Amino acid sequence: MSSQDNRTDDTTDFGFERVKTAEKAGRVREVFDSVAAQYDLMNDLMSGGLHRLWKRFTIELSAVRSGQTVLDIAGGTGDLAAKFSKLVGTEGKVILADINAAMLSVGRDRLIDKGALSNIDVVQADAQFLPFEDNSIDCITIAFGLRNVTDKARALRSMHRVLKPGGRVLVLEFSKPTSPLLSKVYDAYSFSALPVMGKLITDDADSYRYLAESIRKHPDQESLLEMVEDAGFVDCRFHNMTGGIVAVHRGIKG
Amino acid sequence: MEHDPAVIAGVSLAIETVIAKAVELSPGTQSRLQRLHPLDIEIHCTQPSVKIFVKVEEDGDIQIANYQETAATITIEGTWRDFSRVASASDPATALINGDIKISGDTAPLLQLQVIVGDLDIDWEAPIVSAIGPVLGHQLAQVIRGITRASGMTNRRIKRQLSEFILEEGRLSPPKAELDSLFTAIDDLALRTDRIESRLKRIRKRASSLTGVIE
Repeated sequence: MSSQDNRTDDTTDFGFERVKTAEKAGRVREVFDSVAAQYDLMNDLMSGGLHRLWKRFTIELSAVRSGQTVLDIAGGTGDLAAKFSKLVGTEGKVILADINAAMLSVGRDRLIDKGALSNIDVVQADAQFLPFEDNSIDCITIAFGLRNVTDKARALRSMHRVLKPGGRVLVLEFSKPTSPLLSKVYDAYSFSALPVMGKLITDDADSYRYLAESIRKHPDQESLLEMVEDAGFVDCRFHNMTGGIVAVHRGIKG
Repeated sequence: MEHDPAVIAGVSLAIETVIAKAVELSPGTQSRLQRLHPLDIEIHCTQPSVKIFVKVEEDGDIQIANYQETAATITIEGTWRDFSRVASASDPATALINGDIKISGDTAPLLQLQVIVGDLDIDWEAPIVSAIGPVLGHQLAQVIRGITRASGMTNRRIKRQLSEFILEEGRLSPPKAELDSLFTAIDDLALRTDRIESRLKRIRKRASSLTGVIE
């Protein structure tokens, strides 16, 4: 059993619900199939546009340079991939990976519209079993995706395997607010306002209820830091953003 | 105290957007900026403690970041008060050189950047025209131009009349010529006092040598 990602041998969390481990990926896929078309719009509405700032800081932390290879896992609609595409230039490569075909399809269409596909490969892949060679990637990012992975520890080990020595992983994910007052306001917002917004925009309150629940079940800053270290990364640290609502964890492959 | 990276990212994004718009509306500026690549400036405000990095990209875009691992080509360091003093000075370049801000690294590209900023000629009529059409847009731009010109003239007139009132009518401050004359008289008096003092010293010295009394 892994206590940090609340997984036992045959069951795991799906929001506040317990489901069979083998079922989780399918249930997560259903959620993202349902929200894919309106995903970016909902992100803007739910976060008040803040997700762009969180991602912007994550890109700065990546310190990606021209000619490097970047893997963006759970990259969905491709907003991070588009930014990395410019940073790595024509000499480098960005791999946009997601387990969900509907999200990848939206992402690929959007990247074609931006004319940014020349150095971007689109790959449908599970974060736990990355289909890439060992020591082949300079930087891996996973933004708001790790909490949906069935076995987070296995996913982190998989990322460690494909990273080049000296390469870095960046995990941007919802976390635990540092102030009790902010925590209360945030809880009220997540469980009351979020499903209503989901219902209005995508006609799917349940998917957004799952998103709120999965955030609460996700490990807090210190637990996730421990998981990153356990996966074999060194020089691990995290930066809280917006009072700890979101945190970005960084680890280096030694 | 550590600042929330999201807040700094928001401020950086806002500044970057304004700069990008200004460059877009100022013909020729983008190509001049391209020539400054790879200019990389670290602006370090020591109080409050904030670091931002300004980078000129290959295509002339200006990127602002609050985290960077490589060393910048130029470092500018000072307190918030020092930076605001430079920003509000009538001659920012002179204020930067004479102020308390520390600059290290190759400053030549920084001076070139300052010239480019000084030469910015923003065609602000273009976005109005593209938003509401050429006929109405041009008319609106003319009205705005007229208002700006009139308010500028009024501003200058108020400044001049205010200084005239303070000097001539209110007699709240002495005229420059009067002040110059006063300062000359003070200097003259100081010189004469010095001369008398040294003369007194000479007389005392001579008197003491005649009487054999040492002061």
